[in-house]
Amino acid sequence: MGLTDLMSMAKPNLESRGKILRKLRGRDLVNCFQCMKCTSGCTALKLLELEPHEIEKLVNFGFVDELASSDIIWTCVTCLKCVQRCPQKASPYHVIMALRNLSVEREAKVPEALMKAVSQILETGLAESYQKVTTRKMETCDRESLKLPKISAPTESFQAIFMKALEER
Amino acid sequence: MKVAVYWGCRILTSQYAYEMSVREAFPKLGVELVDLREAICCGDPVKSINDFASNYLGAKVLALANSTGLTDLLVPCNRCHFVVSEARRLMDEDENTHSKIAALLKEEGLSYNPEVKVWHVIDFLHDHVGLGCVRKAVVKPWKGMKLAVHHGCQILRYSDLGRVDDAEDPRKLDELIEAIGAETVDYAEKLDCCGSHLMYSHVDSGLSLAGQKLKAVQSLGVDGLVVSCPDCGTMFDARQKDAATTAGAKLNLPVLYYTQLLGLALGIEQSKLGLHLNQSPVDQLLSKVSV
Repeated sequence: MGLTDLMSMAKPNLESRGKILRKLRGRDLVNCFQCMKCTSGCTALKLLELEPHEIEKLVNFGFVDELASSDIIWTCVTCLKCVQRCPQKASPYHVIMALRNLSVEREAKVPEALMKAVSQILETGLAESYQKVTTRKMETCDRESLKLPKISAPTESFQAIFMKALEER
Repeated sequence: MKVAVYWGCRILTSQYAYEMSVREAFPKLGVELVDLREAICCGDPVKSINDFASNYLGAKVLALANSTGLTDLLVPCNRCHFVVSEARRLMDEDENTHSKIAALLKEEGLSYNPEVKVWHVIDFLHDHVGLGCVRKAVVKPWKGMKLAVHHGCQILRYSDLGRVDDAEDPRKLDELIEAIGAETVDYAEKLDCCGSHLMYSHVDSGLSLAGQKLKAVQSLGVDGLVVSCPDCGTMFDARQKDAATTAGAKLNLPVLYYTQLLGLALGIEQSKLGLHLNQSPVDQLLSKVSV
């Protein structure tokens, strides 16, 4: 669903807008004057129709609830070109990340692979699981056969402390 | 010189060639690597889920580095380098977050030290070891080889954070390649993204981005593409066939880590550099040189 469809008859929610601004810790979102440098260089524009300047504008107007439940915030490739090129330090990437965090807090639809990475970190400390790899000649290798050192797991207290960190808003 | 090294997740769990080639090549340049005592995620996928928890992990990496007693930390993964750098800035600039994270670190007997400097392979070799030292150590120069470089996104942007090279005109990786005897080409798509992050949510689009860049590089007529990030390596090398299918292109482009090329130039044998693990056709490049 495009952003226009999502927005029909929407009313701004200034409380949600405040939440995003707090998450941004003083980044100058309100200074955005819609120059569209972010969108013209956006990696996700052509393929997935992400228009960062629209996201900036909608958050400024207070249409945060609609964005937090939209698929569009999950199309950002995190290439950071928008942060680099924004003349107003309005940082669309950080706005999108704040919206994603809010979406998670509200238990909206979050890409499964990302949630899986987090539970993997809780379990093992790492976001990915060990893989056996194959050579071009189709021989199977792992860390041991490649003579790479054993990996040391995190301390026992890590899981509980990371859980605690995940409860912070 | 001694440096602490933080590998992140992907290098330790699948991009073994990058790890092997760093572990082999660095000692040849007089650099001793000291592994951190725990392997944890830097917090990259957590950024989308919970910013505080992500910064806690990033700060923990810095605290683990501090516990080695060393003040230089090598982070060969672009994404980890970015996440750890943002965590570091937050610890230095946001008192409230700093005190909350410091309390969590204390529970594990760890402490944050703002003196720990974060390096990537590229700036560590270019600025710290130095191009002259690299040049002097070369025993088998890559003469007559024409290569394209891909820096990746997160070590270049955003400049305010203090990044590895210039955001719009990065040259350090090119110069490191010239230091081992090969030449590099400039091309319009040099700063384009590999698409890796989209593999969490939009797999086809991610592969399509990788495929389009590979197609552009292949049309330059170069001998290969050089990367220095395990995510970019995965997209351009391990997933090259999938990227070709998605982008509707016929791809046949050797993709290597810079440290693999460097290792060969330093006289290290191929198997120690994981050159049998690359999935792209690197043999066509290796057969062109005497190394």
